[in-house]
Amino acid sequence: MNKSNIMLLCASPRSKGTSAMLLERIRVVTGGEIVFLPQKGSLDKLIPAMQQASTIVISGPCYINTYPARLVELLETASSAGGFTGQKLYGIINGGMPYVHTHRHGITLLQLFAERNNIAWQGGFVLGVGAMLDGNPLEKHMDRKTIVPAFDMFIQHIAEGSPSPDSLYEQAQKPPSKIMTYVFSKLLTFLVVKRIKKHGHDPDAPNWYIREQK
Amino acid sequence: MIVIISDDSKDNWGAAFEETLLQTESEVFRFSSNKLDIKPCAACGSCSGKTYGRCIIPDDMQQVLVKIAGCCSLILISPIVFGGVSHHIKKIMDRMASIGDPRYRINKGEIVKGMSGQGMNYYMVGTGNNISEAEKSAFLYLHEENINIMSAKGRAFVLDKGFNRELINKTAQEILHE
Ligand SMILES: Cc1cc2nc3c(=O)[nH]c(=O)nc-3n(C[C@H](O)[C@H](O)[C@H](O)COP(=O)(O)O)c2cc1C
Repeated sequence: MNKSNIMLLCASPRSKGTSAMLLERIRVVTGGEIVFLPQKGSLDKLIPAMQQASTIVISGPCYINTYPARLVELLETASSAGGFTGQKLYGIINGGMPYVHTHRHGITLLQLFAERNNIAWQGGFVLGVGAMLDGNPLEKHMDRKTIVPAFDMFIQHIAEGSPSPDSLYEQAQKPPSKIMTYVFSKLLTFLVVKRIKKHGHDPDAPNWYIREQK
Repeated sequence: MIVIISDDSKDNWGAAFEETLLQTESEVFRFSSNKLDIKPCAACGSCSGKTYGRCIIPDDMQQVLVKIAGCCSLILISPIVFGGVSHHIKKIMDRMASIGDPRYRINKGEIVKGMSGQGMNYYMVGTGNNISEAEKSAFLYLHEENINIMSAKGRAFVLDKGFNRELINKTAQEILHE
């Protein structure tokens, strides 16, 4: 891999979030620069950089079970522009839920984009419980013992330009047990309710837009 | 009330669905997502805190949210793009977080969320021509995950014969009889 020719693209609007943290971990090994997807204006100017890169790594959050709209817009723009010549593409998606299946669509989306556009799909990495990290190092992840080596292996694949198998991330995270599922849902609900009340709102009141209709 | 949001960049899908639905339903609202000015979600967190339940981005999504909050059925119509929806429709989906219930629930042993109010029927219609099997299954998978996380009901349809009136009528009838 030509180090100067790697594009590390952050598809989150949060520049200090988990997607960016994961890219920074990659950057330390591979070099290159992190590019933040602009949230406004035309995305045309990003296309030449994508076409010139030999390796593209996209890291983004999971919004409603797949990547955010702005990344979809970039993929549509890139696909209409064309001009790809076998660039290698890796994808990372992180979401709040402690499961792989809830976020996996993003990885499939990137693979289908690659297959349509003469881009060499090299594999993805799905990370659950990414919201709890909130940009903090991977060493703080609840499955750190398995996630850290798996993600570092993913970075090795990028550095070597080799394909990364889905089994790498699938085997590194286990869904929480029955008891932990219960504890998590109660704890997370307690935290969101506390936040809502702190701002003077009633979590049981009808939604603001429903009240607006009346 | 049924709300249709369609990406009509190529054909007027939304109007065609509305025509059939209006034969039975009296209240149908329709938006063409490609003609609306909708900014991407900025993940500012205001809708789950400071302005709980309300998105603070002042654009056309405000009028869409007023209609879809509390509607009984939402129909999203999009060309299938790499096994997902177009960015015009995805912007709507991302911005719907403000009408979600931020509290967690458990369904089939897993943590999920829900929508505020009574919950809605959530339909997705994917359009295109000769869509590959991989894209079809990815699209159906996305809908399956969406209804799971939203604790909603509903179905996804793939219409892969282009803009075909007969298929549109048949799909609209199926949605009405759900
Ligand atoms: C609009 C929106 C939709 C989201 N949808 C999901 C979702 O469907 N599943 C999930 O697990 N997390 C969801 N999340 C949570 C984010 O995926 C999570 O906070 C992630 O860690 C953010 O990554 P970032 O720090 O790189 O922005 C959503 C967040 C937002 C703002």
